[in-house]
Amino acid sequence: MARYTDEELKEKVHNGFIVEYADERTEGYKSALIVQLLVQADTELISAPAYFGAAKDAPSTNTMVSATAIIQDELAHANIAYRLLEDLGLDKEQLVYGRQAHEFKHPYGFDHPLENWAELVVANGFYDRAGITLLGDVFKNTSYGPLKRALVKVDQEETFHLRHGEMWMKRLAKAGGEAREQIQRAADWMFPMAVEWFGLPDDMKRHSGQLDYKLKGMTNDELRQTWMKSTVPLCESIGIDVPAHWSEEEQKFVLEYPFPCEYDEDEKRWLFDEGEISWSKVFERWKGRGPANKKFVEMIQEGRGFRQQLEMAA
Amino acid sequence: MTACASAGARFGGGEGGTALLDAPADYPVPPEARTGPLWAALREVMDPEIPISLVDLGLIYDIRQDGGRVEVDLTFTATACPCMAFIHFDIQDRLQQEPGVDYVEVSEVWTPAWTKARITPEGRETLRTFGVSM
Repeated sequence: MARYTDEELKEKVHNGFIVEYADERTEGYKSALIVQLLVQADTELISAPAYFGAAKDAPSTNTMVSATAIIQDELAHANIAYRLLEDLGLDKEQLVYGRQAHEFKHPYGFDHPLENWAELVVANGFYDRAGITLLGDVFKNTSYGPLKRALVKVDQEETFHLRHGEMWMKRLAKAGGEAREQIQRAADWMFPMAVEWFGLPDDMKRHSGQLDYKLKGMTNDELRQTWMKSTVPLCESIGIDVPAHWSEEEQKFVLEYPFPCEYDEDEKRWLFDEGEISWSKVFERWKGRGPANKKFVEMIQEGRGFRQQLEMAA
Repeated sequence: MTACASAGARFGGGEGGTALLDAPADYPVPPEARTGPLWAALREVMDPEIPISLVDLGLIYDIRQDGGRVEVDLTFTATACPCMAFIHFDIQDRLQQEPGVDYVEVSEVWTPAWTKARITPEGRETLRTFGVSM
């Protein structure tokens, strides 16, 4: 039985209270926390097979070591978040091995194959930056003590992934020719993907439990702006075009395309010409999951058969 | 990621290791001879994970210059250090900014093996401040 009512807890966490024990959580707090942690865990988990597909294109053994180290980190971060979910009564093994592909909660952006080294490093530069933006906000603001402590290590390591992405984006852009073209092509489909990742704009966002319970501090639009504040200048500095710029008039980054819009999964191309679509269309697309969803989850669950054999033998 | 600098396991660790492993801090270039513009330049190149220079961490075994050509002997704290490519690139980028340097070759060397004994006193102080126990 919770010690506080929902209203009391919401007020307490906004006055700096940190939740540590089971009896300090209300049912509402617990369900909002579970949703947040599931998205976090599944995103880290599925990034591993996504990155693996492109890490195989590493141009040397040293760079292969860097890329696979990043994959190892992502699996470890997933493990941390699933471990926190166990404290909330969920079963880690069931979550990883017992769900259908479409039940995973990672963003649609990680349902697409990464097909070359340029796509891997732009994913590090854009998606890991999105991860740092989201988790950095959670770290600063969360009212859940165990998560705050776990994120210290996660943040240090994600910074390495980001550095990996940005260093290679710079290098390949500077190299010119086909290397630069590959970075540009990757940015063309991955930039809007990351922008969309931050979700509904604030003026449409229904009431957020995560903000009420102080499981995060910034709104979707604030997070999107924070991401663009780092990403747009980086791309400008290396001569890679992205469809966004700083507006002096509005004092914020503005998009140069209809948002949200439709995406052609086969061609990896955003259909800017077809104009703005409704967010319910976007949710429909997300719900249908992307082309690599099944394959990535299968890669993660491949050990399931062997696991069952071991259990039967025991 | 694997914190490379703390990796300490080694073959025969239980038997005390070899003299070379235990007292290698001044091999092959003793600390007092690590002078000149190239060593100074590499004192500005930081380890990608922790705020300590490659020289203070003891990763640079030797620097040789022949006209515009520079050769650097570099080791790593672990054979699967995720930062190997970064460190290569960072060394080349920094040394190429030095006047008269046209070409930089980085050779990876694994003998003698890196140990904590290679970290300079300044480096130890930095690591303590950063929260790494020595």
